Amino acid sequence: MSFVSLRNVYKSYGAVDVIHGVNLEIEAGEFIVFVGPSGCGKSTLMRMVAGLEEITKGEIHIGGRVVNDLPPRDRDIAMVFQDYALYPNKTVFQNMAFGLQLRKTPAEEMRRRVAEAAETLQITHLLERLPKALSGGQRQRVAMGRAIVREPKVFLFDEPLSNLDALLRNQVRAEIKKLHKRTKGTIIYVTHDQVEAMTLADRIVVLRAGHIIQVGTPDEIYHHPLHRFVAEFTGSPPMNLIDAKVEAVEDGVAVVAEGVAPVRLPPHLAIDAQPYIGREVMFGIRPENLHLADCNTAPRWPTLSLRVDLVEPMGAENLIHFTFGKGDLIGRFGTSVRPTEGTNLNVAFDPAHFHLFDKKSEQSIGTVLPTPQTHDAARTACADPAA
Amino acid sequence: MTPRQIKTLRSLLFLHLPMLLIVFFAIAPYLWMLLTSLKDESTLFTADRTFLPDPITLQNYVRLFAKTGFISNLGHSFIVAGGAVLLGLSVSITAAYSFSRYRFAGRRPLMLMFLLINMFPVVLLIIPLFIIMKHLNLLDSHLGLILAHSTFAIPFATWMMISYFDVVPKSLDEAAQVDGCSPIAAMIKVVLPVTLPGIIATGIYIFITSWNEYLYASVLAGQAVRVLTVAIQTLIGEYEIAWGLLTAAGVIGALPVTLLFMFVQRRLIAGMTQGAVKG
Repeated sequence: MSFVSLRNVYKSYGAVDVIHGVNLEIEAGEFIVFVGPSGCGKSTLMRMVAGLEEITKGEIHIGGRVVNDLPPRDRDIAMVFQDYALYPNKTVFQNMAFGLQLRKTPAEEMRRRVAEAAETLQITHLLERLPKALSGGQRQRVAMGRAIVREPKVFLFDEPLSNLDALLRNQVRAEIKKLHKRTKGTIIYVTHDQVEAMTLADRIVVLRAGHIIQVGTPDEIYHHPLHRFVAEFTGSPPMNLIDAKVEAVEDGVAVVAEGVAPVRLPPHLAIDAQPYIGREVMFGIRPENLHLADCNTAPRWPTLSLRVDLVEPMGAENLIHFTFGKGDLIGRFGTSVRPTEGTNLNVAFDPAHFHLFDKKSEQSIGTVLPTPQTHDAARTACADPAA
Repeated sequence: MTPRQIKTLRSLLFLHLPMLLIVFFAIAPYLWMLLTSLKDESTLFTADRTFLPDPITLQNYVRLFAKTGFISNLGHSFIVAGGAVLLGLSVSITAAYSFSRYRFAGRRPLMLMFLLINMFPVVLLIIPLFIIMKHLNLLDSHLGLILAHSTFAIPFATWMMISYFDVVPKSLDEAAQVDGCSPIAAMIKVVLPVTLPGIIATGIYIFITSWNEYLYASVLAGQAVRVLTVAIQTLIGEYEIAWGLLTAAGVIGALPVTLLFMFVQRRLIAGMTQGAVKG
């Protein structure tokens, strides 16, 4: 079907470079999400694929053709905009049919395609209305319908959920996912929201300041971040990152944060940390990888007694803030774990999910682990291949 | 007095009365002109003249159309004003669209230039224009006058259209381009329909300004192409003023622009409440 390829793509506005040498291959039918903070270049990159921005250097291929010099209308793409961009003096039907009209599609075919798309998005009853008579969620669905009827090679979504309220956002997000499953189209989706990225993407492209920092499946991005930026970007609350020094201890290597007992590194990480002995690094562990230390805790798991600063009950779980040397640590625990603030709690650290980052380059130190299995706290004693 | 009575009295005294006075002050000359035009000319300076016409006579109007070439003057005015609208709009729409949608070298200086030209008093350009028109053989022609009127119509219209276009989000153009339009087709099929009230308002403003214009019309034309304003001026003679014809011509001349203003007012309000995109 389609295949999108970005080769050595650069973008400059005069003397200012905004995109620096991006390379990316997108398979047919893939749902790719460009994610990153404001100003990272994700929208610019997508607009270059669309043809709404000039490509300063490099090549973009869609469906095997170089599209650098093709205007948007000849690239066989459809786009859903952040502000919906519906034609205000056309009805919903006319909005959806406009693209087909321009391509001289026969009236019968036009009506059929619009009816089908309207049925899918449940907007059939809105076909004769003007955009100003629609709610935000309805307008966004019309915008999606306008893209669907074109049956393009690539769908482009530019932060489509940003202007919706939280409840609608979840609904429309699910609809987009269903849409992808149904049409099996290639989708390029831009967002700054990591939850959208994690739930929708087949692969995520993390961008920062015009560079691709990492490309991977949501799993890879979450569990194997190659850069501190990627680690901090995903997860809520974000990964705990602590300044520490790597030191050799009697049976291996440990990280020592100021004011805290050494935390032993598992064997595979110890090997990669060898060159860093005596140097500063950043130690990372996600809140869900901190557990209550009890009789079920695996013997090889580092356990520390930490002072509880704050307990935040979230309903389904409790977030507990600890003092960790000079800094602090946040952990996610079950609702049964409810220590008093000011007391100490024995916390076990899951070594299969330790991360180390070089302090200067912020790159990940360490080999790529085999994909960790999911496990819940009660059975930790049994599952722990890495220790 | 009750508080409500005080409120009513206060609003009468400080709001309605002053407003009535201001409205009367603005409308009085026109009213006077209308009343005069309906009176017999011979009764205007007699001792027993009345405020209201008595009897009401349409003699002045009949004489105006029968004896003078007033119809042709009206025609010339229409042609010149209409031409100024066509030329002004077509140039200013395309220019304003470029200023609004694109960033190019010299954009800011050009926009500022248009603004500055707007501020020029028309009398500054009269001699240069005369010389240019003479060389181009455009004196006393419709085209010459249309071009002259465009010198103030285009800068103003461009600035007005830029602000109308700026309100329309660029994503609308982009959506149209992705859907299958070339940039120009996107402008024509999508953006212009949305800004239509603004275009109409701008067009009407050009028409009114051109219709009322006297200086260029009298210097650059006057014989073969004699517009309304110049024709009315001729009714003010060296020793005598043809009051009857003058006031009748004034009433007729002011009629189109009055009607247009009323039309624009309704259109403008309707246009403003029509939503564009997500706003």
